[in-house]
Amino acid sequence: MPIQKDPEGIEILNLKKVADFTDRQVLEIGCGDGRLTFKYAPFAGHVTAIDPDVTALLAATTATPVNLKQVPSFIGANAIDLPFPTHRFDLALLSWSL
Amino acid sequence: MVHALEEIHRVLAPTGTLLDLRPLADRWPVEIEEAGHILEIGRLTDLPLGLSDDQAANLSVKTAAKEGLYRRGNELHFPLYIYWDDPDEMIGYVAEKWADFVIIDEHIQNYIHAAWEVSGTGKRIRIKLKMLLTRWNKQV
Repeated sequence: MPIQKDPEGIEILNLKKVADFTDRQVLEIGCGDGRLTFKYAPFAGHVTAIDPDVTALLAATTATPVNLKQVPSFIGANAIDLPFPTHRFDLALLSWSL
Repeated sequence: MVHALEEIHRVLAPTGTLLDLRPLADRWPVEIEEAGHILEIGRLTDLPLGLSDDQAANLSVKTAAKEGLYRRGNELHFPLYIYWDDPDEMIGYVAEKWADFVIIDEHIQNYIHAAWEVSGTGKRIRIKLKMLLTRWNKQV
């Protein structure tokens, strides 16, 4: 069986304790294969998830659940040069990436 | 890292929030879980790069706060578990993915294999990471 990261969902429980993702425009930095992205995306307004690792982004795109209301936008980018306009997001998540 | 925090500050709305979620080097325990029972077998050894990465990340957020970009909000620590079906898969993963940050000393690998052999069926092996989650509120 492959590796299982946080099957208990402890990470998302704690994220919900410190921030409300509901209807927010979210930027996730370091999304990798989308493991965490898919846990909060169902209640966010829209998710833009970036990572410099294109292979991981392809895996994320492939793994996107078909029942998501809003499909996250996966983009190859780095946090030091974000290709987005000023004041675009309500919430930014550094996902294991600082 | 400070430049990244400045760039994130730019794209956040004036009332925006930054969440910093990351594992902290902390000699993570290796555990066998069997029928709801947990046995700690040993701990990983932190390497200098892992420790210095944590220090650099901490310094960058402190610098960004000093510059007036963010104000610290809630901060939580919590455990996060990563599971494998087999100790060799776990040892291979650590060697491949985390080689710059942690190692499993040879004597700990021996303990792990010995403990695995004598434990029963339906067992899993896991590493318990220490996670840090900090909320930072954007300062205009």
